Amino acid sequence: MLNFVFKKERQVELLLYEYLDTFKLSQESFSNAINSCILSDMSCENFDFYIKQTHKHENKTSDISDEINNIMYGKALIPDSRGDMMELLNDIDTIPRLFKDILYNIQTQRISVPVFLVPEIKELVKISMECCELLIRQAIALFTNTGGIRMLLGSIDTNESHCDNIERRITAAIFDSDIDPFQKIQLKELVEKIGNISDEAESVSKLINIISLKRRV
Amino acid sequence: MYPLLGGIFMGWSLGANHAANVFGAAVSSRMVKFWTAAIIASAFVILGSVISGRPGIETLKGLTTFSIEEAVISSVAAAITVTIMTVFALPVSTSQAVVGSIIGIGILNGQFNYAGMGKVAACWFGTPVLAAVVSIILYKILAHYYNRLKLNIFESDAIMRMGMIIAGAYGAYALGANNVANVTAVFVGAGLISVFNAALIGGVSIALGILTYSRPVMETVGKNLVKLDPFSALIVVLSLGLSVHFFTILGVPVSTSQAVIGGVLGIGLIKGVDTINRKTLYHILTGWFMTPVVACLFVVLTHFIIHLQYVPNR
Repeated sequence: MLNFVFKKERQVELLLYEYLDTFKLSQESFSNAINSCILSDMSCENFDFYIKQTHKHENKTSDISDEINNIMYGKALIPDSRGDMMELLNDIDTIPRLFKDILYNIQTQRISVPVFLVPEIKELVKISMECCELLIRQAIALFTNTGGIRMLLGSIDTNESHCDNIERRITAAIFDSDIDPFQKIQLKELVEKIGNISDEAESVSKLINIISLKRRV
Repeated sequence: MYPLLGGIFMGWSLGANHAANVFGAAVSSRMVKFWTAAIIASAFVILGSVISGRPGIETLKGLTTFSIEEAVISSVAAAITVTIMTVFALPVSTSQAVVGSIIGIGILNGQFNYAGMGKVAACWFGTPVLAAVVSIILYKILAHYYNRLKLNIFESDAIMRMGMIIAGAYGAYALGANNVANVTAVFVGAGLISVFNAALIGGVSIALGILTYSRPVMETVGKNLVKLDPFSALIVVLSLGLSVHFFTILGVPVSTSQAVIGGVLGIGLIKGVDTINRKTLYHILTGWFMTPVVACLFVVLTHFIIHLQYVPNR
């Protein structure tokens, strides 16, 4: 009976899970693009395909997010929760956008990563992806109220600090090297953008923690 | 039938003004649609009036003796007082308006039941206190279980919304049962109608007020008076229902506005925060003080005007 009465809430719940699944796909495409092509083989034939995939999934996350907002404007959830969900989706949406922007920057600016930076950038991407995975787990913990939200925030925070350290090391290595100054600027911007992934993940993670705390009475 | 029009007007004013106390928070925060709230409140007000309205009617009709003319004057004076307060969007106590007008009648005919009045006045003071105590106890108990339930965001929202509707329906039942006496008790006292008819006519007229003019006051109560989270709003409405129902059993019409203020203050005590806008509270307190005085003056003034006679000079 309750499922019938609260049909819109159920719809929002299903769409939120679909959103998280699409987020994961976008993350996988991004990770594949970076790891399989940029860092190991610059002439990777699949790079364009991965960019398209990342873009497609990014578009889908935006579409799902819009659909959820539309249903919520149609009075699903109580206003307090509605506001929280809208803010949360808006913030999570910045991450797939970052994935897409990074790949397009690499493609349009013809950025090639020097071999001496490959291990550090791989590490930066790996930890950033871990942050995203932890973020998804944290969002699911919020939707299902299974607990552990604060612990996951702690892990994301640690990973974000780690990413900041790697980012600083890579930037220093770039400017210590004798590569072309124009390429140095390109690489610095690329590294900053990759570093933004963990920053955004941490920011969303804090928001999830606040939403969770607000719901306790 | 015509003498009852004053009472029906009174019931309309009461419904327009007091539905906000039971559904104001839910409607203004868009948790419940206005028309859903209005229809549920109307139905439960009528049920409350007919099933549990008798004790209050017996109490008010026993405060003084009425002629039909006095009953009409008393009813119209109280209704005008409440309407003026409603126009200024102040949550007003209809019980105080009615008792103020009955005092006016008592002054005019020199007959007044002081013991009955004492009981009513004591309950007026007791209403916010009881509502505050009930809200504190309810909050502590329900919060304990609510936190233990480990509901997810969707289940919690669904329960909160259902809770607001159920608590609102109970509050509306208590409102009808308690306040119907304000609408038609004087006509029972004047021997014009039976207790059952008084309850039915009173209930229907309150419902009419809810359906036609309660929206503006609901917005005032919900947006300007209190800033509560959904759980606290639910507790306030439940404490209103329980405390007003308690006074219904005692047979004393009390103010649902005072019960809401008491409930909100109770939440404030638990959370250690100011839950009430002080300026608005000051306006309400002024309204409470002015209501019986204005109603009493209206009765005396109306009686004076009706009995003016032309005396030619000789």
